[in-house]
Amino acid sequence: MIDMDKLVDTKSSTQSKQVFWDQDVYDQEIKNIFGRSWLFLTHESMLEKEGDFITTKMAEDPVIVTRHTDGSLKAFINSCTHRGNSICTADSGNAKSFVCNYHGWVFGTDGDLVDVPLREKCYHDELDRSALGLKTVRVESYRGFVFGCFDETAPSLKDFLGDWGWYLDTWMVGAGEGAELIGPPMKSILKCNWKVPTENFVGDGYHVGWTHASALNVLGGELGGLAGNQADMPFDELGIQVTTRHGHGFGVIDNAAIAIHAKRDEYAKYMQETTPKVAENLGEPRAKLFNGHWNCSTFPNCSFLYGTNIFKVWHPRGPHEIEVWSWVIVHKDMSDEGKKEVVKQAVRSFGTAGTLESDDGDNMVQSTHSNRGTHSREGVMDSSMGQGFEGEHPDYPGIVGSSFIGETSYRGFYRFYQEMMSADSWDAIRANDEHWADCFPNKDYWKDRLAAKAEEK
Amino acid sequence: MHNTEAKARVSAQLHYELSQHYYQEATLLQDAEFATWIDTFVARDLHYWMPVTERRYAKDKRPAPTPYDMAIYNDDYDEMKDRVARLLTGAVWMEDPRSTVRYLITNIEAFHTDNDDEFVVHSNFAVYRHRGQLEHSEHVGCRQDLIRKVDNGFQLARRKVSLDARVTEDKNLYIFF
Repeated sequence: MIDMDKLVDTKSSTQSKQVFWDQDVYDQEIKNIFGRSWLFLTHESMLEKEGDFITTKMAEDPVIVTRHTDGSLKAFINSCTHRGNSICTADSGNAKSFVCNYHGWVFGTDGDLVDVPLREKCYHDELDRSALGLKTVRVESYRGFVFGCFDETAPSLKDFLGDWGWYLDTWMVGAGEGAELIGPPMKSILKCNWKVPTENFVGDGYHVGWTHASALNVLGGELGGLAGNQADMPFDELGIQVTTRHGHGFGVIDNAAIAIHAKRDEYAKYMQETTPKVAENLGEPRAKLFNGHWNCSTFPNCSFLYGTNIFKVWHPRGPHEIEVWSWVIVHKDMSDEGKKEVVKQAVRSFGTAGTLESDDGDNMVQSTHSNRGTHSREGVMDSSMGQGFEGEHPDYPGIVGSSFIGETSYRGFYRFYQEMMSADSWDAIRANDEHWADCFPNKDYWKDRLAAKAEEK
Repeated sequence: MHNTEAKARVSAQLHYELSQHYYQEATLLQDAEFATWIDTFVARDLHYWMPVTERRYAKDKRPAPTPYDMAIYNDDYDEMKDRVARLLTGAVWMEDPRSTVRYLITNIEAFHTDNDDEFVVHSNFAVYRHRGQLEHSEHVGCRQDLIRKVDNGFQLARRKVSLDARVTEDKNLYIFF
């Protein structure tokens, strides 16, 4: 039996090192978290025509996502209901049906079993095909981003995202046309626990100056001052961190949306032209976010950098390894030239050979594997930075931290992680909807800070 | 950009010179002489490209990737030079202590082109990276290059790197292939 209060301590802002190593913790994550959360699958732009399909994974389960003949999106487990073989081995394509390589069973784009060789002669026409369709997965989209869920009792995708959807709309709606993903994804293996990159993206503004010192040195520009933490900066005035009900969160550096892009003429022009429209559609607070650089994770394992525009899923492969898939986000209404520029720049910084990506992997691997030793694994990890300097904000939903360098959204991620690991059902999680933010007790943080600021003026 | 037509195979003498150039290039990269490599072995009109190639069914008629599609490397000369500059900042923590990277370059086939001073050269590679105590990775694939004869040797003008693996089994691919 795992002691959840020991695994995550929300009062002292610590997590047991076992979260990155133990098999029983991982097994419970697969069941309680990956079995019950909405997991990113693909984007609708990759499934435009009837019969279009992609293959992906939900945690360790292989999944096919299709555009069915009636125009709807379907997802099902990529495993034949006869003897379990994969029925699709391509990354993507267009198909009228999926034929298993083993015995030739044929499945439709909705997962139904449509044909079986020797059905009359050898099954004597007694096989109940209707009971042998592929195991289906719930599918819903948010602004074109397609997610799947194994749990029929889970809330809708929209409710699962909750206030996070309000933030996502900043760029998923933006000036009106929204965003799409560019693939095919780069794929690589990283020997780390899946939560190491998730927590890094959800709220680690702290590592940027040190881990990425080399890349920021070469890049220079707005973020050059962060390199080696040498510049004296008023961090409380440069951005915020946010966590929301279901653990989704992000950090934002104001006015730095496209700062990682070395070549950005088209992108800069686009941002300038569209910001007034974003303000008109969504209001000034989100227009401000629109121009910020975000590091984000959608609980549990989908992370992205808005501005830099890399979009990633960390597929777990046991407690000590993940498969990293990376796409690029582009604004739909951008010029073709602009989209190409964004893809190239995003990949150059955070693709598999990215100038910044290449700084991160090593930390993530070592943060995982140092826990192999029994004594190394004793004790806890700290995520207390900025604790108490966070609360409800008049303009921004969720719990908002004072600076982009802080660990508010780490705390929010592990708060919900603990809740999901402990809860028996989604009903038990729903019962906590009114009290989830109690572990952020400084309720008047922003009221006091904004009042003090107004007085200064 | 990468579609220069390969004509007749080069002579034994020229093949020898080109092979020696490739071995020298591998030695420079193995010895971390990145500044020398980018200054003297690489042409200023470089395009260095590593496309992402999906696993697709044989009947799939979608075109092969172009330099406008998703690619792991898609760099011009200045961008490659920035990659070298990053390695020379002294702030790439994971490269201190250094990794060792070993290049096995084989199956060199060299062809004339319509330009007297340019050659299409195909080669296979096995690249091994070792780091720390036990960490190691290997990358196997091929390169299709456009190589230009210059006063004191050859320079790389186009390189298309094709990896055989769909999923990279390494923490990054910040290695010059």
